[in-house]
Amino acid sequence: MNALADIAIKLLRQREVGLVLLILLVTAIVSLVDPGFLDDRNLKDILVRSAPTVIVACGVMLVVVTAEIDISVGSLMALLAALMGLMISHNEWQLSMWIGIPTVLLCGTLIGLLTGALVTLGNVPSIIVTLGLLTAIRGATTLLMGGENIDGLPDELQTLSKVGPAGMPLGVWTAVAVLIVTQIIITHTPLGRRLFALGSSDYSARMTGLSATRLKLFAFAYTGFLTALATVVDVPRLPKIESGIGSGFELLVVTCVVVGGVSIAGGRGRLGGVVLSVILLTMVRPVLTFLDVGEAGEKWTKAIQGLFILIAVITDTVVSRSRRGGARNTSSRGTQVAVPRDATGGPAA
Amino acid sequence: MSIADFMKRFPWWHEVILGVLLAGLLSVVGVVNPQFLNLKGQLLLSRHLWEFALLALPMTLIILTGGIDLSVGASMGMCAVAFGLCHANTGSLALSCLVCLLIGTAGGAVNGWLVSRMNVHPLIVTLATYATFRGLAEGTSQGESYSQFGDGFSQLARGMWWGVPIPAYLFALMAITCALYLSKTPSGRYIYAIGHNELATRFSGANVDRLKFRLYTFSGFMAGLATIIYVSRFDTAKADAGTGFELDVITAVVVGGTSIYGGRGNIGGTVLGLLLIHETRLFVSRQWQIEELRSIVIGLLLIGSLLLYRVVRPVHRD
Amino acid sequence: MADSLIQVDRLFKSYGGVHALENVTLDLRAGEVHALCGENGAGKSTLIKILSGVIAPDSGEVRIDGRPLPAGKVHATEDAGVVAMHQESTVFPDLDAVDNLFVGRELRRWGGLLLDRSAMRKQTSDLLAQLGEDIDPTRPVGELPIAQRQMVAMARALSRDCRLLIMDEPTASLSGRETEFLLQLVRKFCEQGVAVLYVSHRLEEVFQIADRVTVLRDGRLVETRDISSINTDDLIRMMVGREGAELVGRQARTGSFGGDVLRVNNLRRDGVFEDVSFTVRAGEVVGLAGLVGAGRSEVARALFGIGPCDGGTITVAGQELPTGSVAKAMACGLALVPEDRQHEGLVLPMSVGANLSLAVLRSLTRNGFVSNRLEQELAEHQIAALSVRTAGTAAAAETLSGGNQQKLVVGKWLASRPRVLILDEPTRGVDVGAKAQLHRLIRRLADEGMATLMISSELPEILSVSDRILVIREGRISGELDGVNATPEQVLALALPDEREVAVPS
Repeated sequence: MNALADIAIKLLRQREVGLVLLILLVTAIVSLVDPGFLDDRNLKDILVRSAPTVIVACGVMLVVVTAEIDISVGSLMALLAALMGLMISHNEWQLSMWIGIPTVLLCGTLIGLLTGALVTLGNVPSIIVTLGLLTAIRGATTLLMGGENIDGLPDELQTLSKVGPAGMPLGVWTAVAVLIVTQIIITHTPLGRRLFALGSSDYSARMTGLSATRLKLFAFAYTGFLTALATVVDVPRLPKIESGIGSGFELLVVTCVVVGGVSIAGGRGRLGGVVLSVILLTMVRPVLTFLDVGEAGEKWTKAIQGLFILIAVITDTVVSRSRRGGARNTSSRGTQVAVPRDATGGPAA
Repeated sequence: MSIADFMKRFPWWHEVILGVLLAGLLSVVGVVNPQFLNLKGQLLLSRHLWEFALLALPMTLIILTGGIDLSVGASMGMCAVAFGLCHANTGSLALSCLVCLLIGTAGGAVNGWLVSRMNVHPLIVTLATYATFRGLAEGTSQGESYSQFGDGFSQLARGMWWGVPIPAYLFALMAITCALYLSKTPSGRYIYAIGHNELATRFSGANVDRLKFRLYTFSGFMAGLATIIYVSRFDTAKADAGTGFELDVITAVVVGGTSIYGGRGNIGGTVLGLLLIHETRLFVSRQWQIEELRSIVIGLLLIGSLLLYRVVRPVHRD
Repeated sequence: MADSLIQVDRLFKSYGGVHALENVTLDLRAGEVHALCGENGAGKSTLIKILSGVIAPDSGEVRIDGRPLPAGKVHATEDAGVVAMHQESTVFPDLDAVDNLFVGRELRRWGGLLLDRSAMRKQTSDLLAQLGEDIDPTRPVGELPIAQRQMVAMARALSRDCRLLIMDEPTASLSGRETEFLLQLVRKFCEQGVAVLYVSHRLEEVFQIADRVTVLRDGRLVETRDISSINTDDLIRMMVGREGAELVGRQARTGSFGGDVLRVNNLRRDGVFEDVSFTVRAGEVVGLAGLVGAGRSEVARALFGIGPCDGGTITVAGQELPTGSVAKAMACGLALVPEDRQHEGLVLPMSVGANLSLAVLRSLTRNGFVSNRLEQELAEHQIAALSVRTAGTAAAAETLSGGNQQKLVVGKWLASRPRVLILDEPTRGVDVGAKAQLHRLIRRLADEGMATLMISSELPEILSVSDRILVIREGRISGELDGVNATPEQVLALALPDEREVAVPS
């Protein structure tokens, strides 16, 4: 009995297990009400809507893993969408797609690098830097678009973004590719392990000779690049580019990363949890549609998303408390032993 | 004492920089557009300022402890809907105001409970309640907007006493209260101490958890108060009240010299920060008739001011 | 003479005017185990930090094979073959054992692009197997029991190509079997020509494993000796020093105590301390001695309500004190001068005045507002009473020297007019002059009727200041000694973990 409970607790500590259970539960309930929920088209729709969030969350996750944060991705997406629209729309500058798209990707990366430079070299807290950029970039976007919406993107791009290879939109394929690459970075490259090491203990990282500056610069630049990528593959899906694109996106992404089990204090987190939490939070709206609660019900989307986050946060605290309680006997003694402190009591100044 | 030493120790750098920036801005304005500087016009234009000025006060206190409250804007949405629903059902303005304040305070208390008792990082807590509050507002109101609260009520935000908008008195009262609380009371001192070194503050016998709980609750209460002014100004209560306010408010506080790590800053700085941002916005949108420039300038101001402070004073990171 | 591998040449290091190391010179030979002994605060950690490149000395240098080691550079030092095994401070708690071993110097394949995970995992399990540990290499190290974490840190040190291995208290948290095993390992490395600098409080280990031993005291080198030429008593005597016998200011003080002010009964915190019972009388200074990690500070914190406590009662002047609340402990008249003044005692960026008043702000109010006048008076009074050297009440606490900072913490707590004063390492990192002042202050307070509990790692301090000495060993009170007649040897014998017989001169 006890052993079973132990196993259950251990499993529930894995964020992924909880998320999968929650997703299955919600799916089961909704498909009982309306079997159409399990329809290919609907499932595909959920995937398509999740794709840009997944892509960007891969970057933001790495930023959060190093104990920083990026809340500027929504605005950045709007700016890059506007830039892309202006360059390649046949109503605007009519540049070739092969010039426009690489430029957008490059701009995204550069802005990410700039963010990272302000954080590491400028020594300004990342929450402030990205808050400032959030505001400034949004303004720049509206200015750039001059109050007009942009349409007339090249047809190939629009088609690809809706129906790509094997009937799946380009966004979904890109998301899969980005997931694979990010997973490889995390588990199979020195870079990824160092990002986690830095977030786990910056003191130990210093003792080991890791460069916090370079690692963080990479994380921010990667986020910028992925934001550009998400823009390129997902925005053409929309009928036109408006200046309001991506507002609130930054908080959704950070939310997904946190609900997915990435520690805001750095050093901990898995990609699987992030993907699952993106799917869970994206599901909320279609679920409400299928429950046939009508317009009225859909207005509750945000509230339900918010409650999911609160639940995640509270269970996390409760679970980690029980873990700490269990480990206290062994660790408390050790931590004090471990602090060698002879004669280090000089003045700080 | 060397000059560098003096620069490091001089305690009023933020205020001096802000003062110089503000004076510079105003003199540029004075040259470019003399009519802009008249006091009466300024007071008239100031009505955009008061709601977020009210929110900046508790935000200053919270950031001083090293925390943050991202949920204030969303909390306003929730309060506005509560206000509208209550008015639609009872027709009583007084009751509606009370409900509005209560809902705001309750929301703040939830934040406070999660931060102080559950020990969750304030950024995460208020990010979660940010979505929850706004969602509750949208869900309960179903996108409906409530209006027609009567001329008397809209006088609250639009009316003037001796040529000064009524909300200004409210703000002045709250600002002085907060400033006194922060600089003169034991709790105020503990707020600074928590921001610098929470552990040592606990060792000194301060009830850190209770204090934090109160600050977040106060922030919720002020969101309720700001909502009343907001609703009165537009004569409309809608779920989107206060959208994006959290960013403006945090910007004002940080530009006002409050360290995002806590421990440094004061209400006076926040007032200067509010003024600087307010004047910049007015001037930019007046001068170029381009609304968007405003947010660019403000975003850059936020980052720029911190870079500038870093140059003048070295980082103090624990 | 065996070949000398490392030469430590005239190292000096001081913190805020206090010498942590003064003119320390020693050499380490390839293939020897060199023990480093000394009391807490003797300068062992500072020496280790300099050797491993964490800090740079003020002057002097360390040479390996005659070439100077780069000072203050961890990476370069490791590359030169000097690897330190700090206790657990350089572990990444969120990473698994494999990553902990290899981060920063990963094994790669595919032209350096990808990690060679299988090779790293294999090396890790090989190393751990060598260490006789069956550790799941995929679990975050922070979740492992402390002994296994220790083994990961050990494996991490060994995975480097090392010529000098520095081991700082490697057995502090190991069981007997694990210790035995570790000592065998150390021997094996030595046979491969590695030099080992071994720091331990457990003297029987030193005698079992070391070839030579160097003793530090007050930052100075006492002597380096072949282990075969000395016995345990000699070693203790070298560590304690001559002044152990002729302490300054010791005098008969018995007879003038009041009633019990603090009475502690069966205080217990699971896994840390248990069955702790003692009393402190008015006017009495009770010294609490024991090794670092024996549970002394934890007892103090439990008393003050800031540390956890799982059972037992605390009575202050006949009134039972509820545990777990600092405010209630303060209301009952308790004050704690914590061991880490920079993190627990002071708010460093705040002014001297604000720090002095922080614990008593409520009593300085007029109509709810803190009175500037009262606060200023308090600050000036305490500064004068404790002769704190500061540029003024408005100077930031961080601008003061260690000794003056410590006086500030004491002053902050005296301002609350406590009945019981608990001092945790009151003179750690404080220069000689300030130390003497603090000692006189503690005695004077006692003469005025204060009940004082003083925790200290410094034997001379315990012996010269206390009226009565309690010794804690592994969470239990192992003995009580009379403050006037106790000898350093008696205290050490009660404090050291092994039950070996130390000749007790009486």
